[in-house]
Amino acid sequence: MASKTTTIQNKTGIHARPASVFVQTASKFKSKVEIAAKGKKVDAKSILMIMSMGLVKGTEITISADGPDADEAVNTLVKLVDDKFGEE
Amino acid sequence: MATKKKTTAAPKKAAAPKKAAAPEKKVEQAPADEAKAKVKSAAQAAESKTDKIKGKGVIAGVAVGRILLAGQNLDSFLVNYKAGTVEEEKKKAADALVKVAEALQNNIKKFNDQGLKEQAGILEAHRMMVEDPAMSGAIDEKLEASGSAPKAVLDAYESQAQVFEAMEDEYFRGRAVDMRDVGKRIAKYLLGIKEPEIVGKVIVAGTEIEPSVIAGLPTDKIAGVILGAGSTTAHAVIIAKTRAIPTVVGVGEGIKKMADGDPAILDGETGEILIRPNDEERAFYDEKIKKQEELKAYYATLKTLPAKTQDGQEVILAANIGSPNDVDAANGFGAHGVGLFRSEFVFMGKSDVPKEEDQFKEYKAAVEKCNGNLCVIRTMDIGGDKPLPYIQVDKEENPFLGYRAIRISLQRKDLFMPQLKAILRAGVFGKAAIMFPMVINVKEFLDAKQFVEDAKMELAHEGKDFAQDVQVGIMVETPAAATMAPVLAKYVDFFSIGTNDLVQYTLAVDRGNAQISYLYNHFNPAVLRLIKRTIESANAEGKWAGMCGEMASDPNAAILLMAMGIKELSMSAPSIPRVKERIRNFTFTRAKEILAEVMEMEDGDKIKEYLTNLK
Repeated sequence: MASKTTTIQNKTGIHARPASVFVQTASKFKSKVEIAAKGKKVDAKSILMIMSMGLVKGTEITISADGPDADEAVNTLVKLVDDKFGEE
Repeated sequence: MATKKKTTAAPKKAAAPKKAAAPEKKVEQAPADEAKAKVKSAAQAAESKTDKIKGKGVIAGVAVGRILLAGQNLDSFLVNYKAGTVEEEKKKAADALVKVAEALQNNIKKFNDQGLKEQAGILEAHRMMVEDPAMSGAIDEKLEASGSAPKAVLDAYESQAQVFEAMEDEYFRGRAVDMRDVGKRIAKYLLGIKEPEIVGKVIVAGTEIEPSVIAGLPTDKIAGVILGAGSTTAHAVIIAKTRAIPTVVGVGEGIKKMADGDPAILDGETGEILIRPNDEERAFYDEKIKKQEELKAYYATLKTLPAKTQDGQEVILAANIGSPNDVDAANGFGAHGVGLFRSEFVFMGKSDVPKEEDQFKEYKAAVEKCNGNLCVIRTMDIGGDKPLPYIQVDKEENPFLGYRAIRISLQRKDLFMPQLKAILRAGVFGKAAIMFPMVINVKEFLDAKQFVEDAKMELAHEGKDFAQDVQVGIMVETPAAATMAPVLAKYVDFFSIGTNDLVQYTLAVDRGNAQISYLYNHFNPAVLRLIKRTIESANAEGKWAGMCGEMASDPNAAILLMAMGIKELSMSAPSIPRVKERIRNFTFTRAKEILAEVMEMEDGDKIKEYLTNLK
């Protein structure tokens, strides 16, 4: 079990494109990956769950993973968020 | 056993005469190939008889294409669906998700290969919505309740759509439509309804058509539009109009005779629709299309010519627009400015009152594109039929006779002022005019005018540039305003007659009701008298009267209106050449004689017939 907390920094928050990039990345890992924010926790491999959280710029999120590649999954996804999903 | 024998016997009997007919023809016709072809086409015609449907042609032109049903109602399919056990249904649903995702992937590739990135992007998002792990769980959950796979799919996607709809962010709210779309796609697969493949041009048909359906298809793919409802002012029709797509409305139950992929011909002038036409019918319309193309080329030559009668009476032909971009298309048809800018698009789809600055940008763009011609901007014309988050309208029995348009503006300074200020500021960049909708008395106009003066004061105070000389007028669309025109004319700068509502309110006919839409006629003598009164009242006070309703695009009406003294006709831009041609072929003297004749007539249908047969 690994987990890290970070803040969304890209201007548009997690809209469709960042969400799909995020889900595609998360789906590469075998571990179960989850995002927690605003007191809710959802499957990070579900674009709908992520989109319905309405994650905008400045939202603090915790990414956690449980499984064989948990550490790598968390690090990769946090980096993706910190790199603003390659936007801007 | 006995019945089985009978059924096998029947086709044999039917086939016999056919066989006998073929050699006969062979003898008559020398080249064997030709004979064969004839027999084949005759047989084809026999097995697929043409369905003829009649509606109301609203956008002229002949269209040939395959039927694409929009907004298909799945209810009847759902009722007839034979569900298995819950486990079986779960498996069916899971299988459908995989199959639909595959189909989407194929289409994505196709679009990408064709360089249609936008379409591919939308489908990519849809594919992810199909494959989403959250959905399979949600579908299973719904299945426990309903026991039917297609129903469960629709329910699950509907729930998710509602989650999106409740969100604050406008972007996410818009995704609700996609969720429903995807749910329907999967349900259709489960119900065995084939997704129509778009090969060549399509004629989009539906009882009601979501505007997004037409907006979402590439323009060059849509040959025509068929609407079951009677409305000529449905949003889908308005979009079709700006794109000059031949359209027939009010076919009612006729929609049921069509299936996806049926070849069809539509005549947007006569309102005739042929489903599965035979060769002869095809040839007839091919000829018509050829003529249509010739006419188009001829219209193009009219673009720069004035709308002037042979004896020198001129009228301004302007365009009705819904967004600044429409002005470019309008200029292409030879429009002289804008007679009606529907400002609703500024208000729709917003979660909060649109800001002065944002509105200013839109109005300025439109005014500038008018190249010094007048741009008449109508203030907000929204009511309970299209509620907005920032305009609270209680549930009304009849929103069209309710709290709407100027009635809201006058009570909502926070809405009205930014719009007026934005228009006044846009006036600096050309010629703008302000028009109030739904006015029924002098007081409303004077109150609204006071708002304009206040807006000017505020702008002066804020040190912002604005045009002092912006004309302020009203739309005459209620019988009250038309009746009071002699009085109102003393105060306004101009009248613009909105015939869609004026006809509807005067005749008490809902233009959207297919059953009574035959009563809706702008040549009804009661309507003509109100229009004549309005135009004459304006002229008597040295003001101008124009028209921005449906009637303005009727070439036959143009003659009458000119004789009544109208100064401007504003219409959907593609109608301009037709109206201009009519005007250029008449003399003003003749027009006045026709008017005198028509005003003596007592029956609207007869007047229409009389004008149609004028040479």
